[in-house]
Amino acid sequence: MSQVQLQDDTVVETNRPGGQLPTNPVGQKPPGLWTTAGKKFMRNPYAVGGLIVLLFFIGIAVFADWVAPHDPAKIDFMITNLPPGTEGYVLGTDELGRDILSRLIHSSRVSMLVGFSVAFAAVVIGTLIGAISGYFGGWIDTCFMRLVDVMNSIPSLFFNILVLALFGAEFIYMILILSLTSWTSVARLVRGQFLQLREMQYVEAARAIGVSHWGIITRHLIRNAMAPIIVYATLMVGSAILSESGLSYLGLGIQPPETSWGLMLSKAQEFMLVDPLQALYPGLCILLVVLAVNFVGDGIRDAFDPRKKKKNPKRRLNKWNATSSK
Amino acid sequence: MTEYLVRRVLQAVLVLFLITVVSFGLMHAAPGGPLKVMLSPGMSPEAQLIQMKNMGLDQPVYIQYMKWVGNLLQGDLGHTFKNNVPVGDILWPTVWNTFVLMSVAWGLSMLIAIPWGIYNSTKQYGLSDQIASIVAYLGFAMPTFWFGIMLQQYFAMQLNLLPLSDMWTMGKEGQLSDLILHLILPVTVLTLVNIAAYVKYTRASMLEVLEQDYIRTARAKGMKERRVIFRHALRNALIPVVTIIGLDLPTLVAGAALTESVFNWPGMGRLFVEMAVAREYSVLMSITLLISLMVIIGNLLADLIYALVDPRVQLGRKGGRAA
Repeated sequence: MSQVQLQDDTVVETNRPGGQLPTNPVGQKPPGLWTTAGKKFMRNPYAVGGLIVLLFFIGIAVFADWVAPHDPAKIDFMITNLPPGTEGYVLGTDELGRDILSRLIHSSRVSMLVGFSVAFAAVVIGTLIGAISGYFGGWIDTCFMRLVDVMNSIPSLFFNILVLALFGAEFIYMILILSLTSWTSVARLVRGQFLQLREMQYVEAARAIGVSHWGIITRHLIRNAMAPIIVYATLMVGSAILSESGLSYLGLGIQPPETSWGLMLSKAQEFMLVDPLQALYPGLCILLVVLAVNFVGDGIRDAFDPRKKKKNPKRRLNKWNATSSK
Repeated sequence: MTEYLVRRVLQAVLVLFLITVVSFGLMHAAPGGPLKVMLSPGMSPEAQLIQMKNMGLDQPVYIQYMKWVGNLLQGDLGHTFKNNVPVGDILWPTVWNTFVLMSVAWGLSMLIAIPWGIYNSTKQYGLSDQIASIVAYLGFAMPTFWFGIMLQQYFAMQLNLLPLSDMWTMGKEGQLSDLILHLILPVTVLTLVNIAAYVKYTRASMLEVLEQDYIRTARAKGMKERRVIFRHALRNALIPVVTIIGLDLPTLVAGAALTESVFNWPGMGRLFVEMAVAREYSVLMSITLLISLMVIIGNLLADLIYALVDPRVQLGRKGGRAA
């Protein structure tokens, strides 16, 4: 009799010679982790809704030049502060006569760019440091974790403000500093995952047959830690978009004549008396995008979580079940 | 216990030291460095040199650093470049103002969120639970400063009910009723955001505890549900909640920078933004250090209290919670 370790840690005992995996009754390979998760994701209405909204905003950002009815930077003092609903200017114009809808559309570029690039950079840095830290342990781990402690002890908003004020409010600096202040959570996550995973038997087996450290990290460990990393990455897109809007609102992010939703909000606050509606739209856009991103992130998390098999509110568990079973 | 305590304190001191190095390094790495700010344009090179000597900027960076730390340890935060005002004179009043705002918002959010979370954990997926998760989703996805602007527009501009911004009305400084009126809007903003998170924590923590065997035992004994919830579950569930909320506090103070800016509240966060734009290095470093110190002490206290209150926490574990 031999034992075979499956991906989900269940040990299957087989009586076949050579210890092959038992084929399941239908004779097919069971659906993989990703297929199952994908199906579960598509069955979650919130997640799919979020995904649609997100794709919509990405589309608008990519095709902003074609979608926007006017040039977002075109100043025209003949038509300042038009009310919403004016012919040709659906949401009206701002204090310089620029079309608000076009400005909103072009602003989505900044948010998307910041959101995705920061999330990507933070995940790359965080995964790398977390992986090295969790896999090797020892003094490397200690050094990296003290670094994480230092980063976490300076509140990120302050750190961002500090760096942007000192080095200048450039777009590229903003992406860099947002990435540098958000990788720590990914690093901690990956490290924690690695600490667990490196004790697994398949890692031991890989080591025994002489797979290199790098091979074990990339081929075995990162793959198994992928699901939570993706969830973190998704949620980070949302928080990066929020940070960008905050920094731009404070005047330390996007600089005019460029435009972003945060910057539009700070202008709108100045002209609150003239046109109270101007402050509404950019905020709604941010809210909608971040909400969509968070729904997608939660959807992915639930899709990969084996404990959440049936998340159907209609099939509520009865009281005894809900409180007494694990 | 003593060994653990010593190790954690040493760790905290190390982190604090690294923070001083990082923030000092940042100031000096910035293009132009501190020089750019203090030298008035059109100054002759000789005058610049004298100015630099006076400020001690002609010395190597590590000597400047040691001088700065030495002064800090004696309670001297330095002076501003502009007008040469002692940093403490500007900083401490704003710290107090932030404290007023934050303590009200924080206390209110705990008063609302913890009972709400407990209630929701007993009625999972009920109406109240769903409202809470809507609040949570909105609270996490909304730019808080935007919410502030919206409240300002509605309650201050349109209804003219509440003051638009600032802490006091001119001429009414020191009147409690005036302060309360000014507090309502910013506190609402901060409270909503906090509640979003705290209800979630409390609910999750309660649900975890409610699954434990000792709860089942208590129920099996025929104990009243109310007693099970408040006597057995709540006591255990509150430990992690209080720790997380406590740990959040310094971050909240920092996060209030945006709310303070929206409402023109004369607090530490707004001061930081102003001073960052004006490049007042000594003020920036003092605030950074102060907040970091709060975070570190908060972390330390949380770990220690956790270890003291909950006998299940093993102190011998390598790294502990913080690692």
